[in-house]
Amino acid sequence: MQQIPLMDEEAMTLLEAISSDELESLSQDVYTEVANGVILGLCFEVHRAVKLGILFLDESKEESEKKFEIVDEIGRDVFGQVPIKKQFECVCPNCQRNLAASRFAPHLEKCMGMGRNSSRLASKRIANSGKVDSDIDDFDDGDWNYGNDRKCKYYMLSSIFKN
Amino acid sequence: MKTAVNQKLIETGERERLRELLRTRLIECGWKDQMKAYCKDIVKEKGVENVTVDDLVAEITPKGRALVPDAVKRELLQRIRTFLAQQTKI
Repeated sequence: MQQIPLMDEEAMTLLEAISSDELESLSQDVYTEVANGVILGLCFEVHRAVKLGILFLDESKEESEKKFEIVDEIGRDVFGQVPIKKQFECVCPNCQRNLAASRFAPHLEKCMGMGRNSSRLASKRIANSGKVDSDIDDFDDGDWNYGNDRKCKYYMLSSIFKN
Repeated sequence: MKTAVNQKLIETGERERLRELLRTRLIECGWKDQMKAYCKDIVKEKGVENVTVDDLVAEITPKGRALVPDAVKRELLQRIRTFLAQQTKI
């Protein structure tokens, strides 16, 4: 559409002569135009998406949707599997014993002689290893030096207070 | 008369504002998603290779116009009317 540019004054006089009916129809026209513009914009957007092949990216095939459907049953997880209680056990790489996973870290600390006060205890144990059968303290592995440690501390404290 | 109105709309930037407002409202009310789904159906029907912009415009425009919610349309019209009235007063 070719527009002849109007002077501002001219435009104003034209608009002044507007009746309410005209105003209504003009508003409708403007609305139609704006709405068509927006729809055209959407068309361009969709067309571009089609040609680039990105319009159907968010859809997945039915078979895969069936395959990965979320299971909602009592006693099963979302994948439809029955939860199995696993026995978490690890083998200590240092002494080859079987340990519950929760006790692995404290055991390893002591077994390898690292950590705060373990190097001393470990070396003590190495020194004793000839005499003591190491399989016996397998059962209460976590505590095998705990009492020792306590006694030691208690002894130290009492000696301090005596002085 | 129409040219005068059009010129005013462009000069003041009101047309751009109106378009932006309508676009936002239509996204807010879900019109856009609805139309997109409809577009997908059309594209599937015609085949990805055969779709042209003209096809889309021809197919979508009537439905798109019909689906614009009344509240949105009323808001837009009210705003246009106010604008036109303002322009006549000056």
